Amino acid sequence: MLAFIGRRISLALLILFGSTYLTYQLAAYSGDPLAGIRESTDPKKDVIIAELTKTLQLDVPPPARYFLWLQKALGLATGAPDFGNTVILRLPVIDQIAAAIPVTLRLVTTATILSVVIGISFGVLSAIRQYSRLDNSLTLLSFFLFSLPIFWIAVMLKEFMAIRFNDFLVNPTIDIWANILISGVIAVIVAGFVSGTRKRVLITWAATFALLVTLLGVASATAWFRYPVMGIFGIAILGVACSLGFTNIFSGFGNKKALGAGLASVALGLIAYYPFQQLAGPGTNYELMLALAVLMLSSSYFIGYFFTKIDKGPVIRVSMLSAFMVALFTVVDKLMQTWDGYFDLADGRPIQTQGSYNITITSNDFWVNNLDLVTHLFLPTTALALGFAGYLRYSRASMLEVLNMDYIRTARAKGMPEREVVLRHAVRNAMLPLTTLLTFEVAGLIGGAIITEGIFGWRGMGSLSNEAIQSQDLNLLMATFAISAFLTIMATLVADLLYSVLDPRIRIRK
Amino acid sequence: MAIKRKKNSQQPIEGNETGSSNIEVAGLSQGQIIRKRFFQHKPAVAGLIFMILFTIFVYSASGLHLGTEANPITIKGWWKYSHEDLLPQGSCASGCPSADHPMGQLPNGRDYFSLVTRGSEISLMIMVVIGGLSAFIGTVTGAVAGFFVGIIDNVMMRFTDFILTVPFILIGAVIGYNLGNFGVFPLAIFLGIFIWPGLARLVRGEFLSLREREFVDAARVAGASNRRIIFKHILPNSVGVIIVSTTLLLSSSILLESGLSYLGFGVQAPDVSLGALISTYQGEFTYAPWLFWWPGVIIIAIALSINFVGDGLRDAFDPRQRRRISRKERAVETGTRAQVNKS
Repeated sequence: MLAFIGRRISLALLILFGSTYLTYQLAAYSGDPLAGIRESTDPKKDVIIAELTKTLQLDVPPPARYFLWLQKALGLATGAPDFGNTVILRLPVIDQIAAAIPVTLRLVTTATILSVVIGISFGVLSAIRQYSRLDNSLTLLSFFLFSLPIFWIAVMLKEFMAIRFNDFLVNPTIDIWANILISGVIAVIVAGFVSGTRKRVLITWAATFALLVTLLGVASATAWFRYPVMGIFGIAILGVACSLGFTNIFSGFGNKKALGAGLASVALGLIAYYPFQQLAGPGTNYELMLALAVLMLSSSYFIGYFFTKIDKGPVIRVSMLSAFMVALFTVVDKLMQTWDGYFDLADGRPIQTQGSYNITITSNDFWVNNLDLVTHLFLPTTALALGFAGYLRYSRASMLEVLNMDYIRTARAKGMPEREVVLRHAVRNAMLPLTTLLTFEVAGLIGGAIITEGIFGWRGMGSLSNEAIQSQDLNLLMATFAISAFLTIMATLVADLLYSVLDPRIRIRK
Repeated sequence: MAIKRKKNSQQPIEGNETGSSNIEVAGLSQGQIIRKRFFQHKPAVAGLIFMILFTIFVYSASGLHLGTEANPITIKGWWKYSHEDLLPQGSCASGCPSADHPMGQLPNGRDYFSLVTRGSEISLMIMVVIGGLSAFIGTVTGAVAGFFVGIIDNVMMRFTDFILTVPFILIGAVIGYNLGNFGVFPLAIFLGIFIWPGLARLVRGEFLSLREREFVDAARVAGASNRRIIFKHILPNSVGVIIVSTTLLLSSSILLESGLSYLGFGVQAPDVSLGALISTYQGEFTYAPWLFWWPGVIIIAIALSINFVGDGLRDAFDPRQRRRISRKERAVETGTRAQVNKS
């Protein structure tokens, strides 16, 4: 095993050398980094060109210059890795990258988590109900999302979810026909998830429709979109609903312990509501928030642990997920309390289409700054999260394969309830191949989303490499490229190893 | 022969639904079964018909330009304008769609319909070149690596990793942007040379598992050469995986082309492609939304129908994923299960 890893790592380094060499040559021969300066009318341009030629070592031919770059990048000369300076602004490349990585991570992390969670859960659902109405609609939806160019959907989002929504906030009333239309469409989607007789589907549709019409009517009358509130009662209702939902998914209502543990976690969250309001003032920080989250999750773990003596797994899962949702709702509630103040700071146009933060807002308020982050993240995250279609198809295919296995039939033949068959036997095995996909995804995170970052004006790794190519900046290009190539190669290695660890049926061939 | 035997030997294991499908496929060859299954898949057939009609529509609109530059052979298309003509502004001052210009006009008077059809032609061409080339390279690499395991496999797969690390955007930038405009065809070729690693990995996996099967051993015992085993025994059995992933590759390559063109690294002026059109006119969304809508809708339509064709092919080639249970059967099944649970 160790020999295998060692061999693979040395091979990986060799590949990395090869691909950086190829990239360097491609980029170096593709253009002249001094083209911009040569065309300028600056009287001193000859001096600048001579100086840049010297510092960038442009007089050395690229096949040899690569080794000079490599020597510096590996830190052989000075002892510390040195990726050089950018051509135009003469800033250290390493600083640019250090600034860009957090921006990219902030942009893609939420979107990736969302798309993985949505994709896998819908994929599993779609597979269990293969060729049902739901499955067909999800298939259609995922094919549609596959076919969407991200830059196209991004322009749409900017127009309809930012510009028009901000216009709408000036006078946030929904007229009755729009209300009926929106509620009707959403109710159709909700009813689509219900399986069973036509009557049951129709009842679900009617109930959802009635509920939504009322809610939107009230929201319109109280200008809720302008002055959103949730309050402890809202959190309580949503929290109980979530806890019921999780119980239904993970254990069924027959398991009273799970139901009880879930509701107890919700109650704990509600008890913590008022102390939280005191603790989380404007001057709070991420450390405190993280500590509170850990406290909440660990106490919900113990609630689940002590609620039952047998089969603790599903009970703990229900109670922890309920606690997580309540904590999330509490944070959303806090952000809603900040909304009015932020609305004025943002000149009445809260949903942002450009940039990663609002430069005109200089506030020390933790919540205002985070709300600012949320409003900037909203559009790009939505655009990127549509990538859930890939996970949906992948987990559906994998799940279908597993559901046709003999051990699933054995489990059913033993008289195991269908929920247990799906959750304990099928889903776990179906998720194995997804680990490979996820490793690549995580490696790709740092590389950045070039197009998305460009459209929404985030200065992350993607924008950086785009800029490097546009301006023929070899130092910048090679640094961004070397990082993403390194991560890709490591991801293939990790994927191979992880797979053989997780699935004992697969052994590494000697 | 090997294929047929494999199918027959698999079917009895597949459980209750195969009882009916056995009758369904009796007396048909492998190809006929696949064709029959494919044509039962309504969305896939719709996608296929759309692609054929759309390709004919687009290529016939502007006509064909064959022959050399000195000696051109042109077949005139049915659409009255060319995408290079600067026309007087039509009845609508802002260039909005009218009877004369069904997709509107650009501010400089060019007819948008002919631009979009021209762009679709180029996008389709790039798609086919990238898809075909990468399918070829990917299949050959994967087949060789998977069949001759050991050192050859290792070398080939590490080479695949190497190709995987070269970013597409750089290829596009070097070929289409920094080196001046090479034209559309070289761009497509170069992209095709670098996009195959995913397919190669899939084909390799398929070959790795198929080469251990009994029918391969039987062929080897009978004295078949490696070449014969690869081409006559293993390749026909993995053709499903190859065709399905090639279709999906086609739809992703049209998105890749449009993405690159959007960044300015793909198709360069004076050539147009759907992605380049969106990129050029995205700023006009508020004033002239039709300039933005049309190319986007066409990209979506092409990619969507190819995806459906791919899905239909997958169902046709891989009957394992198809366990269609009628409503009645499901009711019976759940009824029995409920009874079992009660007792």
